[in-house]
Amino acid sequence: MRVLRRALALLGLPVLLLATWWAASAQSTNVYYPPLRTILRTFRHVWFSDRLRNDVLPSVLRLLGGYALAAVLGIAIGVLIGESRTVRGVVEPVLEFLRAIPPPVLVPVLILLAGIGDTMKVLVITSGCIWPVLLNTAAGVRATDQVLADTAECYRVRGPARLRYLVLPAASPQIMTGLRQALSIGIILMVISELFAANNGLGYAVVQFQRGFDIPEMWSGIFMLGLLGLALAGLFALAERWILGWYHGQRRASRSR
Amino acid sequence: MGDLLEVRHLRKAYAGRRTVEAIGDLDFTVPQGELLCVIGPSGAGKTTLLRCVAGLLPPTSGEVRLAGQPVTGPPAGMAVVFQEYGRSLFPWLSVRRNVALPLRHLPRDRRDALVSQALAAVGLSDVDDAYPWQLSGGMQQRVAIARAVAYEPSVLLMDEPFAAVDAQTRAELEDLVRSLWARLGVTIMFITHDIDEAVYLGQRVLVLSRAPTSILEDIRIDLPAQRDQLGTRGSAEFTALRGHLYEQIQRAKRGG
Repeated sequence: MRVLRRALALLGLPVLLLATWWAASAQSTNVYYPPLRTILRTFRHVWFSDRLRNDVLPSVLRLLGGYALAAVLGIAIGVLIGESRTVRGVVEPVLEFLRAIPPPVLVPVLILLAGIGDTMKVLVITSGCIWPVLLNTAAGVRATDQVLADTAECYRVRGPARLRYLVLPAASPQIMTGLRQALSIGIILMVISELFAANNGLGYAVVQFQRGFDIPEMWSGIFMLGLLGLALAGLFALAERWILGWYHGQRRASRSR
Repeated sequence: MGDLLEVRHLRKAYAGRRTVEAIGDLDFTVPQGELLCVIGPSGAGKTTLLRCVAGLLPPTSGEVRLAGQPVTGPPAGMAVVFQEYGRSLFPWLSVRRNVALPLRHLPRDRRDALVSQALAAVGLSDVDDAYPWQLSGGMQQRVAIARAVAYEPSVLLMDEPFAAVDAQTRAELEDLVRSLWARLGVTIMFITHDIDEAVYLGQRVLVLSRAPTSILEDIRIDLPAQRDQLGTRGSAEFTALRGHLYEQIQRAKRGG
């Protein structure tokens, strides 16, 4: 019974939306708004083909590459900033400046610097994803509990051990928040980076379909992007449940007391 | 036996818009193996004293020595049990790993043995896989004590460790501290605001004045080594000592 209710809560709204779309578009003769039936049929033969390897896979790899780079850099710089007031004072104005630059305008600059290949696309994704990770990490590290820090100090947990057993776990709830925000930014920038000077990828494919008046194909590409986002969010939720198990447990425990 | 811990003309002032004199002048020593209790009215700089002794806070002048060596940062061989047990245990580590963390440089089998012994000594052998937040407050403080014991310190500092647990648990934990002290021969500096607790636990009690803190009285507690909650607390000597210290604390509050 509970499983059934959960399934209903999870799938109810998507099913309802799809059904509404299906019904509303069923009689459509407008070229730009094809019936959902047509889009889904197109979806199958467009994406369950070479395109999975030629467009989806390159996009996903760029996204993961840029995201991973942003995660590593964001956490590393965030820890440095969060740990030291001096570093914070020096770096903060520069960060505010850099953060204000929308990553898409970096595309032309990065094309000049890094060419039109995968490097440029990965860097565009990194340049946008890094901010939520960096800022959340810095805030999380700064908020490390003083008693816990004193405890680590008294028991001479220092250097790399301090990072591993105190600083990173203490900031991990905030780091995960940053990483979750970065994931959706990453998908957006993945598409944007493929709109320029690309010859494969999901963003490229959608633009090509649109320019060739392959309207159902274009819609199916948008569908594919949505599904990709859904899958990545699902994977992220699994990882978070594993990494932050202690945090959610502690919160439940303190609520029930 | 010689003095293990020496506090020499310790002074601590917090600089700010207006300098706040927290500790005026504290000068005392703790011999090896002693159980010293430190009491004082609230605001007596008890925690400041502990943080200076632990090497967490540099004194403004004067010094702290452990086994003859000046303390400039947390020294090896010193363990601390804080009042806020909920904030001094790592919530992302299991009970066992909390206790094992300070011992991570030791060989594995030695470390495992120390952790198991310490958990058994505080009566928590059966919960070592649990997370701290799954335990009651009293049990969490037992974990913190086990961590200190497993570290095999020469000095154990305790900062009002039982201020946040209920009376029943508190009595149990006091007896636990007495028995661990008797068994391990560790030197303990126990800070509390509770006069009864200081008399019941200590071999000696230091009474601190209001800030800027100095020592009002340094008194030996001549109660038998074997103490129990009912008999000891009911004895005439206990009552007399408690009455005397109560007077002192009242004087300290008045600033006398």
